[in-house]
Amino acid sequence: MTSRLHPFTALTAAASAAVVTTAAAYWPLSVAAALAAVFLAVRRGVAGRVLPAAAVILTPLCLSLLVLHGLFFPEGQTVLAQWGPARVTAEGLGFALELGTRTTACVLVFLLFSFTVSVPDLVSALAGSRIPPQFGFVLASTLTLLPAVAVRLDQIRRAQETRGMVVGRGLLSRLGTLRLQMVPLVLALIDDAGSRAQALDARGFGSPGPRTSYREVADPPAQRRFRAVALVLAAAAVAGRIVASWPAGAPS
Amino acid sequence: MSQPALTVTAPGQAAARRRRLLEIAGAAAIAATYIFLVLTQPADIANGPASFSALVALGGFLLGAVLLIVAVLPVLPTSTVVLIPVALVLNVVLGQLMGSTGLPFYIDAIGTVLIAVLAGPAAGAATGALSSIVWSFFNPTVLPFAAGAALIGFLAGMAARGGLFRRFYFAPVAGFFTGILAGVVSAPIAAFVFGGTSGLGTGAIVGAFRAMGDTLLAAITKQALISDPMDKAIVFTIAALLAYALPRRTTFQFPFVRRYRVLAGKAPAAPDA
Repeated sequence: MTSRLHPFTALTAAASAAVVTTAAAYWPLSVAAALAAVFLAVRRGVAGRVLPAAAVILTPLCLSLLVLHGLFFPEGQTVLAQWGPARVTAEGLGFALELGTRTTACVLVFLLFSFTVSVPDLVSALAGSRIPPQFGFVLASTLTLLPAVAVRLDQIRRAQETRGMVVGRGLLSRLGTLRLQMVPLVLALIDDAGSRAQALDARGFGSPGPRTSYREVADPPAQRRFRAVALVLAAAAVAGRIVASWPAGAPS
Repeated sequence: MSQPALTVTAPGQAAARRRRLLEIAGAAAIAATYIFLVLTQPADIANGPASFSALVALGGFLLGAVLLIVAVLPVLPTSTVVLIPVALVLNVVLGQLMGSTGLPFYIDAIGTVLIAVLAGPAAGAATGALSSIVWSFFNPTVLPFAAGAALIGFLAGMAARGGLFRRFYFAPVAGFFTGILAGVVSAPIAAFVFGGTSGLGTGAIVGAFRAMGDTLLAAITKQALISDPMDKAIVFTIAALLAYALPRRTTFQFPFVRRYRVLAGKAPAAPDA
């Protein structure tokens, strides 16, 4: 099932879901979209990774929204409680609910995409499209570089510790140890990049023209139709929102 | 010294002009979106979440960022393209390292600024926008800020070209002004797309301005004017420190650094080893 879905189909589905949710601005729909994303994540067996990642992003955001709009919402009329300058208003809580659920839905939908997509498939799909080929390289290179850098940083830290680096309590000492780790890391990465550039150039990376890929990603007609329908739906949702709430004083 | 700086010459005049148009269209899309949002900001957000403004902000800024990437990426030399993933990784890793010092800033653009200093404004803008797009794989809330990140990279590159990194004390000043512009451009995203900032500290500042009766956009813009210039001044300083900490053999291999004499000091005796 994982390999059946073309990466662009999954991406289009995620983006359309996010756009429709944003355009609708109706919190039950946002909750439904979020629940659907969670359900799909459970079915695909990635819930254990999607949900913690989403929690790290969403918890501070939602708490901040709740405190901000729950306590300070000068536009609110229905005051539920008041302490000094802070007023809890029904409108403020409603606003926090709307935006919190909307962002939750969008984050879950996109994380579901990025944790289920096969990166090699995505890169070869990108290579076959009209997107500049360098984009696929940047994406794939970053995703493989991140874990490598974590290992590298650990090596640098241990090497510096054997040379007597001690993480002290003071800010200056901490900044000092930071410098001892940052400079070797940046130097090594930039140096590596230089040699990689030569290797890539020798293989024709910089030359113009189409790229061929050894990897074929199947793109059945049904999925093409689905993408077209999803895009039309998203465009319709945006158009509906624009017609419904074109600001009165806007230059048209 | 024989290499062309920044961009390889395009095969034809027409292609170069098309790219130029794309760059201008991208910048215009970002500027027009910002102006439109400020002019038409919903007077009364109590009527419902600013869904219309959110869509305009997302569409306009993302379109601008994508146009810039499409215009710039194909003409960057390979030595710069391979640096973009490095910049993104540095943004993430150095941001985490700085976070471990307990300083109350979200220092997440060191890599972008460093690449802008070494490879120029076009590379900086592409790096900023691409960073946001690739990072959104792990944190989708970063995606809407792509235009702001591109602006930071572009301005850092312009500051480097103007020689502001030649004197150590100018780097934080350049960062401060970059922070003002980037904060102002990013504020509508925070206001209309997310309805606030992620983080309780910045949220408290926004709350204080809201308590004084400001609109949400005004409160978030003021908060951004408090945090962002300081943040970017620190980022520019760290990037300058790193650029000077690197061996001269490494920094002077970049045509941009040599051509505009970005860093103080003389080029090493034998640059083309």
